[in-house]
Amino acid sequence: MIKSKVLIIDDEIEFATTLCQRLKLRGMAAIDVHSGTEGLVSLVKMNPGIVILDLKMPDMSGLDVLAKVKQHDPSIEVIMLTGHGSAEAGAEAKEKGAFDYIMKPVDLVKLVDKMELADEKRSKA
Amino acid sequence: MTERHHWLNKILPSPLAEDGNAADSEQVYTKFSRGLSVILLVLVLVPLTVLSLLSHYQYKELLEEEEMDQLVLNLEQAQSTIEAFITELQSIIKFVARDDRYEELLNPDELESLFVRLKDEYPGFADIEIIDPEGTQKAYLGPYALGGHNYSEQTWYKEVLLRGVHISNIFSGFRNVPHFVIAVSRKDPRSQEYWVLRVTIEGKTLQNFINTISTSYADDMFLVDAEGITQTIPQKYGNIGEKCILHDVEEKEVKFFDGDYHNQDGSTEKTQRILIVKKTFKGMQINHAAIDLVETPWRLVLVKEQYLHAATWVQFKVKLTTMFFSSVVVAVFVILEISSAITNHIRESDKKRQFLYREVANSNKLASVGRLAAGVAHEINNPLSIINQKTGLVQDFMEFSEDFPHKEAMAEALDGIQNSVERCKTITHRLLGFARQTDAKTEEIDFHHTIREVVDFLAKEATYNQIQIEFDLSQDIKKIWCDRGLLQQIFLNITNNAIDAIGRDGKIVLASRKVGEDSIEVTISDNGPGMSPDVKRKIFEPFFTTKETGKGTGLGLSITYGLVKKLGGSIHVTSEMGKGTTFVISLPVKRSV
Repeated sequence: MIKSKVLIIDDEIEFATTLCQRLKLRGMAAIDVHSGTEGLVSLVKMNPGIVILDLKMPDMSGLDVLAKVKQHDPSIEVIMLTGHGSAEAGAEAKEKGAFDYIMKPVDLVKLVDKMELADEKRSKA
Repeated sequence: MTERHHWLNKILPSPLAEDGNAADSEQVYTKFSRGLSVILLVLVLVPLTVLSLLSHYQYKELLEEEEMDQLVLNLEQAQSTIEAFITELQSIIKFVARDDRYEELLNPDELESLFVRLKDEYPGFADIEIIDPEGTQKAYLGPYALGGHNYSEQTWYKEVLLRGVHISNIFSGFRNVPHFVIAVSRKDPRSQEYWVLRVTIEGKTLQNFINTISTSYADDMFLVDAEGITQTIPQKYGNIGEKCILHDVEEKEVKFFDGDYHNQDGSTEKTQRILIVKKTFKGMQINHAAIDLVETPWRLVLVKEQYLHAATWVQFKVKLTTMFFSSVVVAVFVILEISSAITNHIRESDKKRQFLYREVANSNKLASVGRLAAGVAHEINNPLSIINQKTGLVQDFMEFSEDFPHKEAMAEALDGIQNSVERCKTITHRLLGFARQTDAKTEEIDFHHTIREVVDFLAKEATYNQIQIEFDLSQDIKKIWCDRGLLQQIFLNITNNAIDAIGRDGKIVLASRKVGEDSIEVTISDNGPGMSPDVKRKIFEPFFTTKETGKGTGLGLSITYGLVKKLGGSIHVTSEMGKGTTFVISLPVKRSV
């Protein structure tokens, strides 16, 4: 069971709300926002342990948001969602401090696996 | 392209349009080849012919001129010889008939001793007679008993009195032997009256002389009088005493030469004219040269059959003809070869160009389809995510709900949706991968190891279908610089296609060999059903697939094509229906990125 609070940042509202709902169904404290700026605000408000972050958003790129998140609290684990099949972008994000990346469409099982690993890492730290 | 002249365009058709029908194009090439041959032949043969004809006529003219000069020279020589002879005869007669010997010569003894002396000089002297100022024969010595004639009314007598000398035509007269007469008139110093010494000379004297001086140059030489009656015996052209048979033959070309007459005091004056006439006699071209002999009624005729230089002329003609025809033969042969070679060259170039054009078109198509596909894939990916998540949510709800009617059927339906989404995901991800512009990551890899790895990956599926995979790998190839991932993807795609194509029971052979220093070639052959030419042409096109719907995306080979190009290589396929398919992939050993 993942203890950390989860923040979902994705401009695809339908996707974000559905994912959020599904995570909640699995007993997680999850919240979804739909832009990078909103995400940064929520970051301060709810102080999440795990951030699920879309790579491409209209206002800010995922990588910028990632940098801000890490700047705000390096202990927050970020899982990137890459929508355009670009493994390179995911790899770059990993280099810049993301915990891992997962390709859209998201396989929830895989995502939850990764979130568990991230949660474990946090609890060890 | 530069514009060509209209007429040239007609003869030499423009190169083939991009998509020429094979039969049509063959016609175009044939036409081109013929046109080229004709132009070249005209270019070569016309000047050759003109040159040959020109030299033919030039040389002929030269020979004729030379011949003419020779003829004139010969004629002049003969003329002067005969004139000298006649002059000599005259001098002898003038010498014996000194002015004051009239009385003396009337004495038969004196006349006889004179005649004997003359005959010593020239045996041709036939008789001699002395004529008194009244024109009556006073004395005669000779074989015929002639006496008492009065010549006063005769033309020759009047002429001799007027000019001092007379030379007659050769005639037979009442003596019935050809002879001619030389008569001189002398003034008796005492009576102051003119007496005449008349000497008859046998015609054969002159004949002998003519025979002696006639050279091998002329084909005939004889004398004619003013009426064209022959005076000496022609060897070929007519009989003595008759009208010269050449006299009335139609003249073809007349030439006049001014002859030089040498006076006794050494001065020269242009008096006579040599007449040269070209005639055709009995089908033979002859030159007929004639000149009047001074102080005689005769005209000297020289006949020369064209040509003296016959051998030279024939030789030249043979040489010229041989040269001409051998040149023509060689020219025709070479020109035909050249135009055929040029046509072949153009045909090859056209083929190459068309091939390259198709290649470029293909590459462009691939690139643009790639960009399009990437855009589409990206756009589709987001809704796909939503479908995926919504379906997942419904599935979650179902999981946490009690049983309700049709729950199981609904769950199956949702699974169906998820599976379809999964399939779409595979496609979009492949599309995105296809369009992805990444640099190849070059590293040193063990080439054969990489191939075997790929095959291992597929071995299981192959064995399920009783497909044998064999290797024929060249030991010369060790390590190459390449991108392992791309290489694997290439071999995986093609081998996988081969397995799919065979279906069951078959064989796949992977062979490698070194081509030169910098390149290797891998062939992947299967003994599957092969492809029709139509299929073969399309296999590298995106979305083209022969697999049943849902099994293939139609992207495998187009991606493979792009990958091979990215690695700096080339890929070709040969296939025959019923015999299998072979892919040949050439790759550089070192890829500088």
